[in-house]
Amino acid sequence: MTEVASAKSLLLLEMKRITKSFGPVLALKEVDFAVGYQEIVGLLGDNGAGKSTLIKILCGVYPPDQGEIYFEGQRIIFKSPREARNSGIETVYQDLALIPLMSLARNFWLGREPKRQLGFLNLLNLKYMKQTVQEAVATLGVNIRSVDEPVASLSGGERQSIAIARALFFGAKLLILDEPTSSLSIKEAAKVLDCVQQAKEKGLSIIFITHNLHHIWPIADRLVILFNGRKVGDYPKSEVSPEDIEGLIISGRKLGKEAWDDRPLLN
Amino acid sequence: MQAVIRRLGKCLKIFVQRISRQPEMGVLIAFFFVLSGFGLGAEGFFTLRTMAGVLTVIAELGILTIGITLLMISGEFDLSVGSVLAISSIICAFLLRIGVIDFLAFFAALIFAAILGWLNGVIVVLTGIPSFIATLGTMMFWRGILLAITGGLPTIPFFGESKILSLLNSPMVKDFRTSAVWMMVIVFVAHLVLRQTAYGNWVYATGGNKEAARSMGVPIARVKIINFTLSGLLAGLAGLMQLARFRTVDALRGQGMELEAIAAAVTGGVLLSGGYGSIFGALLGVLIVGIVRTGLVLAKAPPYWYQAFVGLILIVAVVINIQIKKKGQI
Repeated sequence: MTEVASAKSLLLLEMKRITKSFGPVLALKEVDFAVGYQEIVGLLGDNGAGKSTLIKILCGVYPPDQGEIYFEGQRIIFKSPREARNSGIETVYQDLALIPLMSLARNFWLGREPKRQLGFLNLLNLKYMKQTVQEAVATLGVNIRSVDEPVASLSGGERQSIAIARALFFGAKLLILDEPTSSLSIKEAAKVLDCVQQAKEKGLSIIFITHNLHHIWPIADRLVILFNGRKVGDYPKSEVSPEDIEGLIISGRKLGKEAWDDRPLLN
Repeated sequence: MQAVIRRLGKCLKIFVQRISRQPEMGVLIAFFFVLSGFGLGAEGFFTLRTMAGVLTVIAELGILTIGITLLMISGEFDLSVGSVLAISSIICAFLLRIGVIDFLAFFAALIFAAILGWLNGVIVVLTGIPSFIATLGTMMFWRGILLAITGGLPTIPFFGESKILSLLNSPMVKDFRTSAVWMMVIVFVAHLVLRQTAYGNWVYATGGNKEAARSMGVPIARVKIINFTLSGLLAGLAGLMQLARFRTVDALRGQGMELEAIAAAVTGGVLLSGGYGSIFGALLGVLIVGIVRTGLVLAKAPPYWYQAFVGLILIVAVVINIQIKKKGQI
């Protein structure tokens, strides 16, 4: 927590005392969450811990009941995911915003198609589309057979990588990945992690949501753990062991130690 | 030298692989099968006159099918095109008979057809009911209204002079009619829009994965409503072409054409579930229908065989399409 306080001016995103309830269910209670520039933050917690709710509040799916959000030092409230995207916060969900039967190039530019003028006609600039996609995907070290191939023929890992490349290409500052590796083979997951690392080196900050610590441990800079709607841990990776994190995820306290936060939350 | 040959061979192999993975392959096979079948079996099939006959049949059905194809790629359905076609031709014939100048009658009928298409779109988008049901409803509703209003009148003829109707569909060179030219123009424009514009991209995205398209900022409701409107407009145009050809119209005009158009589109590789298809494939589907219809007449078979034949080809072509698609996805 001290790190967060002292590095205030160096933060890309700061969410303060976020509280949200759905009817009688308290989903989040006074959660502070921050992301620095070029930082990979693992957001961990069991199912129902509040990870998704926190992210949905961040990108404008729901408003918070209480709390403030600052992005690049500005107080913001996004009313829709589109507003969040326009400000540079891009979310890649598990089910991915890709159309399986469309080609990679067409998917990549969907909704932002580049045009070329032919007389009075406004046509797609297909040559430019293909060329940029090839380059954008190559910068993340992903090999694609052909940008004309339908997305359906790509592997799950390749699709994740393309979604990441797209966010990077269109100038996202903060990339939110929702369980990007949970349905992938170990080899595929490693490729995606490599891609995330590359994206960070290109200047992106990343929130990596997962309930599996081992998926994030190799590349995380910092780990934030939610338990029953409350933040129970926030550590730089160097100051914590995987066992401690596992304990926090499962029970809200470190194994064998006095918990830094008190009992699990009961509303 | 050997290296060059090997290289050429490799290129050829890739080309064949690519072509054979296209889901339009099924319709192409069916097309050549039907073409050679009637060529051998029906006397005088490969003559200009027969070709002109085929084109006459497919011009109207083709225009209808293009509208349906665009709509089906965006994930929706329109069963009401047959009724819309009848309404537009009856309106046009009625206006011409009471002495409205042909230019006005033509556009009034077209605009009315477009409005009926738009209405289908609005119903589907606002209520969220499946377009199959919504347009089944409007198909019955408009047909019923037509029958009720025209009541005793069996046919409405119009044999007067009309420049627009002649321009739309009249003999041009030998037996070839102007309607075929209009269909070609519409085919070209529809193909260009689908493959070469941002709107075309949105049409595929809307049918392919609605939620993903929306999250990427594609205005899916607008895309659907535009395509429903186009489907109505093109149905209206097809109706006016039929009016120009027959110079009479009755309240049952176009009945069953919606199913022919859907059968042609699906034979041509357009997916019922949306997100895939091409104008080229749909056109081949329409061509098959036209060839079967004309070929059966030439072969002196009773015309009742026509439906059975088209139904059979529909199933065979779709089976081939699906097999190719499975293979294509490795």
